[in-house]
Amino acid sequence: MKRNDLLTPEGTRDYLFREAAAKRIISRRITDIFESFGYSDVITPGIEFYDVFNGNERSFPQESMYKLVDGKNRLMVLRPDSTLPIARLYATRLYKEQLPLKLFYNQSIFLVNPKDSGRDDEISQCGLEIIGGNEESMDYEALYLGYQALKSCSNKGFRFEIGDSGIFRELISQYDCDEQQAELIRNGIETKNYPLLDSILTDSDDNAAKALKALPHLFGGMEVFDEAQRYFNSGELGSKLLRLKRICEDLSKIIPPDIIRVDLGLVHKKSYYTGIIFRGYIEGYGQPILSGGRYDNLLKEFGKDEKAVGFAVNVEAAARVLIRTFDTEEFEQSTDVLVYSKNKIEALKYCDELYKDGLRVKIFEEESLEKALTFARENNIPKLVLIDENGNVQSREV
Amino acid sequence: MENRKVRIALTKGRIENKSVDLLEKIGYDVTDLREKGRRLILSIPDEEIEVVLAKAADVITYVEHGVCDLGVVGKDTIMEHGGRFFEIADLGFGKCKFALAVKNGVNFYEGYGVKTVATKYPEVTRTFFEAKGIDVDIVKIEGSVELAPLVGLADGIVDIVETGTTLKENGLEVYEDVAPISARLIANTVSIKLKQERIQEIVRLIEENLK
Repeated sequence: MKRNDLLTPEGTRDYLFREAAAKRIISRRITDIFESFGYSDVITPGIEFYDVFNGNERSFPQESMYKLVDGKNRLMVLRPDSTLPIARLYATRLYKEQLPLKLFYNQSIFLVNPKDSGRDDEISQCGLEIIGGNEESMDYEALYLGYQALKSCSNKGFRFEIGDSGIFRELISQYDCDEQQAELIRNGIETKNYPLLDSILTDSDDNAAKALKALPHLFGGMEVFDEAQRYFNSGELGSKLLRLKRICEDLSKIIPPDIIRVDLGLVHKKSYYTGIIFRGYIEGYGQPILSGGRYDNLLKEFGKDEKAVGFAVNVEAAARVLIRTFDTEEFEQSTDVLVYSKNKIEALKYCDELYKDGLRVKIFEEESLEKALTFARENNIPKLVLIDENGNVQSREV
Repeated sequence: MENRKVRIALTKGRIENKSVDLLEKIGYDVTDLREKGRRLILSIPDEEIEVVLAKAADVITYVEHGVCDLGVVGKDTIMEHGGRFFEIADLGFGKCKFALAVKNGVNFYEGYGVKTVATKYPEVTRTFFEAKGIDVDIVKIEGSVELAPLVGLADGIVDIVETGTTLKENGLEVYEDVAPISARLIANTVSIKLKQERIQEIVRLIEENLK
């Protein structure tokens, strides 16, 4: 039988040195931001019941989840998302807390991707969720922190894009079609499949059809709003549009205006989003690295009717871009002192002192002093410490 | 400042030739593309456009990963391969269709037995019959699919049909159309946002010169 003991499963990998450091740097930068703004750390289990991810507002395709069974033969999954476990957590253990409740996480999600697609099956994410509070004020906070998180990932070009999933929901309810066709249209808008939408939405007298067809084209800067007014200027849609415009204008006071983008065609496949929806893009990565939005109906499914907003950053992707674009020095761990001794116990005793003083030490294991000196020189270690058999310490600058 | 450099992936062969014709019609300098030799990366000077040549499914992979911003690929490959990208225009050339074909005079849906379908496109076939709620056995064939029903391996085939000549010469006929096919312009989901003006300009030129 062929053994797989020397492989990592497809879609996963070992992270070595700089790769591991880059991930740590990104997640530290982002969690630092969250902590500075008073968010509390939570960790949820890697394995959850399948039922957590299966409901009206939370349809995760079963093909994309890693599944296993527990001792009672119940279906379990490796979490494909962190928002739902946090919704569960809130509804069971945190619902008595004072609102708004501000939580953040730094953990992996797991997805089964098509074979040989080159996508990651394990993705570490940093994200936050705000439960309760004044809706608009919480949206602003989530958007602002999303921008900050995105900025901390990239020193090159990046864009922060905002839309409102309520616009599609409203439009599709005005259009006469069955559920299957609605999903086809939603998918066409999400993938900006213009030829498909042109072939389905043929009724040129129907205002809803016309607007649905225009929706995926409506993306770009603030000029999008003028364009959009041609399709929906009244009623519920008109006010949604005005509200989104106001949000973008307000945000431009705290986020550089050229970073802000609008896409009215943003309709997420995670159907739990109900209001604003946003994404972050950075140069050098071919998929969005930040994704989030408002989900007002999800917590109800867990038995507690509260509104919420949140987002997650793909740390994996950000780390990959960081490695390519930053100076290598950022990742190098420098050593302050090289300790050379034939007596390991004496060496460790001495290192213990240095370590308490906050210095980085390395114990040189080989025999000759010459070699220790060469090693220190080659690795830019400024100080070499010699400890003889009796524990006498002698130090020299390199 | 937007980065103006754009990389376009073209499906080698017929789609490539038609695409190069289209780029020429726009007014781009395509000499490098015409005299490519064995090179795989070519350029359109003065336009900051780089053109790469790839197999159909690879065009999708390159665009999905964002190493190419735009791609030209047949709808057949999109339907079989799937992926995350925007499908922004139907280029109209490379027209043909997916069809279910059977031996002359055979009624495919007759009887209670589960039918066997031979195809080079198992995903397209599966989706087609799933939508109808019909259970079929799918056999993947790499070469000439027409052979399968003739030697008795399958009850029908799902394949690309252009003129229907191959079918006719082998005593087969189209039983039912599955889906129309033509070349599509696809775009990476991030490129279109980060290089919006430049990409929209290229797409506009392409669309204007399609007629």
